[in-house]
Amino acid sequence: MADIGRSATLIALLAAIAGSPAPAAQPFENAVKASYLYKFAPFVQWPPAALGASAAPFTICVAGSDPFGPALDEAVRGQRVNGHPIVVRHVEAVRPGLACQILYVGGEGAGEALQAVAREPVLTVTDHNKTGAGGMIQFVMVAGRVRFSIDQVAAQNSGIAISSKLLGLAVSVNR
Amino acid sequence: MTPRVAVRRLMTAIAETPAIGIAIASLLLFASLGLAYHNEGQARAEKIRDVTVQSRVLAASLAGPLAFNDETATHEYIDALRASPEFNAVGAYDDNGKLVAGFSRTGELLPQRNQVARPIVQGDELIVTSAVTQNGTKLGSVYVGAATESWSRRAARYLGIAIVVVMACLLVAVLTAFYASVSAANRRLQAEIAGREQAEDALRQARKMEAMGQLTGGVAHDFNNLLMVASSGMELLERTSDPIRRERLKEGIRQAIDRGAKLTQQLLTFARRSPLSPEVVDVGHRIRELRDLFERSLREDVQVEFEFGDGLWPIEVDPSQFDVAILNIAINARDAMPDGGRIRIAAHNYPAGGETTRDMVRLTIRDNGAGIAPELMEKVFEPFFTTKSVGSGTGLGLSQVYGFVRSSGGEVKIESVVGSGTTVFLTFPRSSQEVPRLDVQPGRERHADHDAIVLVAEDDEHVADLVGEMLRELGYKSKRGATAAEALRLLEETGPFDLVLSDMIMPGKMNGLELAQEVVRREPGLPVVLMTGYSEAAATAGAEGFPLLVKPYTIEAMGQVLGQALRA
Repeated sequence: MADIGRSATLIALLAAIAGSPAPAAQPFENAVKASYLYKFAPFVQWPPAALGASAAPFTICVAGSDPFGPALDEAVRGQRVNGHPIVVRHVEAVRPGLACQILYVGGEGAGEALQAVAREPVLTVTDHNKTGAGGMIQFVMVAGRVRFSIDQVAAQNSGIAISSKLLGLAVSVNR
Repeated sequence: MTPRVAVRRLMTAIAETPAIGIAIASLLLFASLGLAYHNEGQARAEKIRDVTVQSRVLAASLAGPLAFNDETATHEYIDALRASPEFNAVGAYDDNGKLVAGFSRTGELLPQRNQVARPIVQGDELIVTSAVTQNGTKLGSVYVGAATESWSRRAARYLGIAIVVVMACLLVAVLTAFYASVSAANRRLQAEIAGREQAEDALRQARKMEAMGQLTGGVAHDFNNLLMVASSGMELLERTSDPIRRERLKEGIRQAIDRGAKLTQQLLTFARRSPLSPEVVDVGHRIRELRDLFERSLREDVQVEFEFGDGLWPIEVDPSQFDVAILNIAINARDAMPDGGRIRIAAHNYPAGGETTRDMVRLTIRDNGAGIAPELMEKVFEPFFTTKSVGSGTGLGLSQVYGFVRSSGGEVKIESVVGSGTTVFLTFPRSSQEVPRLDVQPGRERHADHDAIVLVAEDDEHVADLVGEMLRELGYKSKRGATAAEALRLLEETGPFDLVLSDMIMPGKMNGLELAQEVVRREPGLPVVLMTGYSEAAATAGAEGFPLLVKPYTIEAMGQVLGQALRA
């Protein structure tokens, strides 16, 4: 049962990281988030117009404070979503008509940026925010592991369909 | 070619050689082997398809958990497969090919890294790998090791049917080989039978030729002697005028002619062409009447004893032929007893049942003479077969007996023991009629019907002249027609006639019988007498109710028959 043992090691490691939210744990957590960010794409369906031609890039935009650094670029290297090459864009200000399929807004006060793309087919992702408004997907830490909750209503309002497989993995879903 | 013809050809081919049967059996064996191999391949392909589908279902289920490191869900999905004993090992791998979760039942470790490849069979295990993808994005892979049936178990499964197939093939091979060998034996047997039949035919033909040779040789020899007597007698007759000598010569010639007539009569009897005039006869009475004849023809040292059962049934035979047959047998017995002995003649009723289907009368003539050697038994009935010295026997005695008895519907059998005697059995069918009580002695008919006019129809000039002479001798007048037509013309123009005497076989459109019928049609009261030397013709005449004169006949016989006909 080597695999189980290995998983146990991983869990123990994650638990150790969660147990002591030391700055050393941050890069690992962000690396996970960075990989999740592009892995959401296969489980999400955008309106056809939002994806453009097959050669057109699939764009992941990062606004606000960027926690990933090069980790995100590393994670998406060589990856494709439905044949579209993935491109990472850092945007200063979010405005309506932004050519992004996924928008991650980092740090506090994401409400403004989210408001700007509220009616557009953009999958918004934020970290969990106890006070302010969050994206359609919000990263949550559960038992020291990176999980997520999903606001299905917001996604539907923007014309985005989220796969039941993804919904099943979410810690909570706003239906 | 219809199926039936095809089957017949196949059977013929199988009958030719056992190799075809063995080939068929081998073909069956190979066909079943091929079928088994094909089934095995199909079962394997199905198994691969089955496991592949399962692994794909697992892969689809694991897309989310693998993408987002949800180990709980991953374990749940994998554990769901643990319940099935079909799966030896199942593993889930992330998009880098690293093992995430899984189990292994066989004790062998799951591979730490997985690469998606075509399904392969390793030993008893089928290994199927599938990629975990979601919308074209590769998220990981799964590894499924499924148990396959081991070779030994598969072999065990096929063993039963294999035994049946092999036995069936063996049976086919053995049966066809047997069939072929039986057919071959049958062909040999038939060839042998055909060969033997040919040989038998040839033998029969040779015997026939031998008998013919004996017959013609014997007849020629006897007749030659008779002709010698007659011709030399005639010559001497012309040269002498001494009445006593002439009388002696005429007597000699007459005896020679009588012997010739007897000879032909016996020949005809043997050929069963001699006309028989059967009468109902009491065997015992008839044989007792022969006593005088026995005394004359047998020697003094030969005793004759009779033993006849009571109430002997009558039989229907030609009396004179019967007498001759009995006499022939008695003379043979006499010659078999050169130092004297006893001949015992017995007759008994032999009712139907057992060997016969009808009532018979059996006549037994037994002597205590030398007997007949077994190798000669077959030949005793052959004409001109004789063991007597030249001149003392014609070799026609027993053949006359044979011909007569067979013609009378009876059977003849000889039993003999060398040194102790011979027994001849004559069996005649019982007659349904009673023996007629004729008290009237047939009187002399000579000169009884003076001046009666007879119309003679006879084609042969010489015979016609002779018949004319005989009629004149009897006191009749006669006119002759050479054909039936001429006879009818004479009947019309120069009649009336008192009687018509016609030969049966005549040239022209009408034969004697038809002439007789025509005469009766024209003049119903006119008696018609037919003459012939052939038994078939005689039988027809008898059936039509016409009186018959059997050639050669004497003046006396002629007078008797014509007299009866005229009085009727």
